[in-house]
Amino acid sequence: MSEEFQPPVRFPHLLAKVNAFLLVGLLLVLTFVGIVAHKQGWFVHQTMIRVITPDALGISTGMPVKLFGFTIGSVREMHLVSGGVDVQLGIMSQHMPRIPKGSRARFARESGVIGASVIEIIPGKPISGELVEGEQIEFDRSRGISEIVEEFRRQAAPAFAELKQALSQVNRTGEDVVVILAALRAEAEQLPATHKAMRRLIENADRATADISRQAGAALQSAQRASESIERSAPALAGKLATTLDSIDGAVGQLRQTAAEAQETLRGVRPVIDRSESAMRDASEVFSAAKRVWPLSDAFKDTPDATLPIDSFEARGAPGPGRQ
Amino acid sequence: MTAWRTAAAAALLCAGCGTPPSAPLPPVGARTVDANARAATSVRAGDYAAAARRYEEALALARSVEDVDAIAANAINLSVVYQWMGREGSARDALKIVLDDARRAFPERRRLQAELRRAILELATGDRAAAAEWTARAERRCERLACELAPALLNVKSQLALDGGQPAEAARLAQAAADAARSRGDRVEQANALRNAGRARLANGEHPAAVAALEQALAIDHSLADPRKIHADLIELARASAAAGDRDAARGYLERAQTVSHAARDPRGLDEMEVQLRLR
Repeated sequence: MSEEFQPPVRFPHLLAKVNAFLLVGLLLVLTFVGIVAHKQGWFVHQTMIRVITPDALGISTGMPVKLFGFTIGSVREMHLVSGGVDVQLGIMSQHMPRIPKGSRARFARESGVIGASVIEIIPGKPISGELVEGEQIEFDRSRGISEIVEEFRRQAAPAFAELKQALSQVNRTGEDVVVILAALRAEAEQLPATHKAMRRLIENADRATADISRQAGAALQSAQRASESIERSAPALAGKLATTLDSIDGAVGQLRQTAAEAQETLRGVRPVIDRSESAMRDASEVFSAAKRVWPLSDAFKDTPDATLPIDSFEARGAPGPGRQ
Repeated sequence: MTAWRTAAAAALLCAGCGTPPSAPLPPVGARTVDANARAATSVRAGDYAAAARRYEEALALARSVEDVDAIAANAINLSVVYQWMGREGSARDALKIVLDDARRAFPERRRLQAELRRAILELATGDRAAAAEWTARAERRCERLACELAPALLNVKSQLALDGGQPAEAARLAQAAADAARSRGDRVEQANALRNAGRARLANGEHPAAVAALEQALAIDHSLADPRKIHADLIELARASAAAGDRDAARGYLERAQTVSHAARDPRGLDEMEVQLRLR
């Protein structure tokens, strides 16, 4: 008796395996969606608060809202209202107790002036009570880098002009000193000749005194005593004069050395000034080039040239801005 | 010995003090920069006569070395200062240095600036036809309104339209100017555009919209800290509020404008205020 024929099965339990595969795939998709939702904060309850800004430049939906540098929410919506832009901030409800009434928001940038834009919450005093859903807080628009640079430029330009003027005065004064010292040096170079002439004069006086004493004879003893006295005192006087002339010579030598040092110093300072001017020009060019490069180009506006601003407000015949 | 040396050094230094200075003249470029810097300082101090003298000096220096860009820049600066001094004729003559000289190769940017300045000057003196003509010339040079002066140009056109009794067109141009200024980050012209938009809306009977635009202009002008513009905004806000029937708000704006005018010691502002107070 033969057994019933069983056809060969190539893929046993195929349906169960397909179902298991689909189930695992579905689980993976759900897990991924869950992780994304968790990261997006879909499972976190959020409280909406509002700020009104006259100018929403730089603010965009999704921008982080930070408290003490810690992200506590994001910008949810923005729409135009009378007097500016109404910005809705979604704050994680768990952080709301840290934002009492009287808190303020401000536009800021991480890492100084060129970092990512954020809305920073500056908490008020805790005694004022907590903020509630939909409540509005004050918004401070911080100064942009262009305004900071413009203010720095406005304050620095007169200082640089005065510095330049002072340096040119120093330069002129330095040249005067050089001329004076050159004249002094010429005079000082004449001093040794004067010294020699004085020595010759003293020697001549000495010889003349000796001649007079020889010619006067014994009858003129009183005159001889006088001449001897002169003879005795003349070398001492000559010695003193020589010492004085040596002192003057030393002083002149020292002055000459000082003049040389002053000239050397002026020669040394001038290249430094030239180099600093060159360095400032180079820095200005680098800064200008950097300002034209994305993404800095958005943060900077062009530095105005020497032309006064062309303001359409003047078409109304208004007086000048600085008139007092 | 030391006393001798000290006395000799002191005597020599005293002799040095008596020597007249023999300062060599600095290069022309440095003198031009100095003149410009001093002129800017005078402008900030409100001393326009001194500023004009400095800019004239800088202009002469620029002419001596045929620096066309500096010639144009200083001529434009002179026109601005002369206009502030109320010397519109001199301002016009200064601009003619650039506008009437076709032989010199002034940069296109300078020619555009000079043409726009001339349009502003003519509009300020009430010559609308000349202002329109110079505005059209500037607009031809500012291709597709893509130049840096496009917001100012649109604002002048807006004022011309408003003065010509076309408030709707003026509002449209002011809105375009505001958009252009905003995209360029030009807050001065953005505030001017919003002020023009407010005036145009007011002339068109759209009082709430006028107040909203003027409030925005005032907020920007507060940040720019220009009392002339703050005063103008407050006056326009008073007019808009009065037209909307809110007399209390109008009175408040007028009082604020009066305070600003007194603080800035602006005689023209005070005159205008007297008129407003009589209307009240």
